[in-house]
Amino acid sequence: MAPLALAGILGFAFGHNAPKGNLTVGVSGASPQLVAAAAHATQLPSTVDVRVVPDAQSLKRDVRDGTLAAGVILSGHHQKLTDLLIPIVAPGARHSPGFEVVSRGSSLVGEEWAESITAGLSSRLYAGRIHPGSSTRLAAISVTTESLGNASRGVLDYFAPSIAVIFLFIGGGLGMRSLMLERSGGTLARIAAAPVRPNRVVVGKMVAIFVTGLTSILVVWGATTVLFGADWGAPIGVLLLCVGASAAMCGLGVFLTSLARNEQEAFGVALMVGLFLSLLGGNLLPPGSLPGFLQVLSLGTPNGWALVGFGRLSLLGDSAGSVIGPFLVLCLIAAVTVGLAMIRVRRMVEP
Amino acid sequence: MAVDDVSFTVDDEECYGLLGPNGAGKTTTIAIVCGLLKADAGEVNVDGEPGGSLRAKAAIGYVPQDLALYPDLSARENLRFFGQLYGLVGKRLERRISETLELVGLAERGKDHVGTYSGGMKRRANIAAGLLHEPRLLILDEPTVGVDPQSRNAILETVSGLGIAVLYTTHYMEEAEKLCHRVGIIDDGHLVAEGTPADLIKDHGGQDRLRLTFGDAETKAEGFAATCILMQGVDEVRRIDGGLELTTDHGPAVLPSVVRQAGQCGVELMGIEVLAPDLEGVFLALTGKDLRD
Repeated sequence: MAPLALAGILGFAFGHNAPKGNLTVGVSGASPQLVAAAAHATQLPSTVDVRVVPDAQSLKRDVRDGTLAAGVILSGHHQKLTDLLIPIVAPGARHSPGFEVVSRGSSLVGEEWAESITAGLSSRLYAGRIHPGSSTRLAAISVTTESLGNASRGVLDYFAPSIAVIFLFIGGGLGMRSLMLERSGGTLARIAAAPVRPNRVVVGKMVAIFVTGLTSILVVWGATTVLFGADWGAPIGVLLLCVGASAAMCGLGVFLTSLARNEQEAFGVALMVGLFLSLLGGNLLPPGSLPGFLQVLSLGTPNGWALVGFGRLSLLGDSAGSVIGPFLVLCLIAAVTVGLAMIRVRRMVEP
Repeated sequence: MAVDDVSFTVDDEECYGLLGPNGAGKTTTIAIVCGLLKADAGEVNVDGEPGGSLRAKAAIGYVPQDLALYPDLSARENLRFFGQLYGLVGKRLERRISETLELVGLAERGKDHVGTYSGGMKRRANIAAGLLHEPRLLILDEPTVGVDPQSRNAILETVSGLGIAVLYTTHYMEEAEKLCHRVGIIDDGHLVAEGTPADLIKDHGGQDRLRLTFGDAETKAEGFAATCILMQGVDEVRRIDGGLELTTDHGPAVLPSVVRQAGQCGVELMGIEVLAPDLEGVFLALTGKDLRD
């Protein structure tokens, strides 16, 4: 059943119903007509969408957070020109039309398509009449490229917390499995026979699972930062997200795994549901790659919210304050899942 | 219903045995006493405290049938963990760990992982965890299941020398006879009889049985059987495969007469066995079932 379920998840998420244009390149500083003409001239495949973005700042932000695979910024000095379908390089202009190709470095394909679109845009500009008297220097087109961060480090910055979050769930599930093993092995009965209140046993077990999860993600953070130079973003924000994600994911892991009938089933549940959540939340894919409907669904998962927070910190370089929202959502999810998990654990401990 | 109308008391320094076959309700009874299960009706009182309360739990040393220890920890580490659950700390905890390991004969292996122990050693470590906090009542649930005779003897010696109240469940009648001052016989969740082993055997165990096995003189067996039934002290004679079984109040007393009569009848006796009544017989008489069913 597990492979069938996996096939269903993958097919549903990325099958024929998913939109084909899954690589989006943004252009700012150009009119929609000019962009459409440039896209036509470039003969872009159907899998590449070109979107007009209001300003350069928004475009860079969208490239950073993965919404756009790459982008093209027309120089602000020629704003008026770009409003025209067939622009004219005016006499006496001091600057030539300039393009800035922006990418995250991790999306080489996106960068190549952005350069193609730049060529299309420049061809439309050259198609205009050059006013007599204008110098060739002025008519020349300048193209600069900007990579927003180191490519390999950028991948690590995002994927390290992304994968670590999923292991929080699996860790929680395996923690519940170890409780089941304790039950079948008799140690849980021995603990329950001791003069300790059941609530203390339940809280103790839950805290142990939470601390193990939190420690694991903190170790991943520390190791990727110190050993591999990753930058997860503002430390306070990272810490908040680590705490919130650990509580929510461990709580969910313990609760869902507790529904299994035995240790073997619990192991399968932890892995399968972990994989399902990672697909649904987008943990295994580059940022912004989820089909539109899954991007909405991902916000129904704690890992999806954790990714929103970690993305803001690592991809956008936002301050710790930017993760307050995701942190509060994670806390809310944690309150529900931990509560449910404690009820299940209490049933195992109490007579 | 797993158990119904089961009532008994265990006095100070008394070893009380719950004797019954697998599935009779022994473990359920123990779980209720230890506060691990809630009874639908009735009450449990441990050392003056209501069963299931923290004080009652503190007075009990529970040795479950499972090897309830962490195999990846050493015996000392296991004892340290379980001792702390009973409020033992510091030097007292370390002293008690050493004392209990010494008591169960594991002092030299205390630092080894429990997972590396033999079955008998694991059982003894299991008992050590129950004795650690010096309980008023030690509850042992089938502590000798699956252990070799040598370890079984070691366990029985340890338990017999404790000098505290012990509730001991077993389906081995020899253990109950050897160890327990009083025995409760439990079957299908009911306590069907209770008393000292001697009293139970006297009241329900029946008579001695003399089991005689013949050589090849089968033709003379009928005549020998007819004379045996007329002998003083012999109440019943019945044919068994290859011989006869005589029922008598005192087997050793009639044995010389039986041997002499066999010689006179020309019957060659290949084997003579005097079977005294035991708890197995008591259980059979009370329930109609064999204890090992």
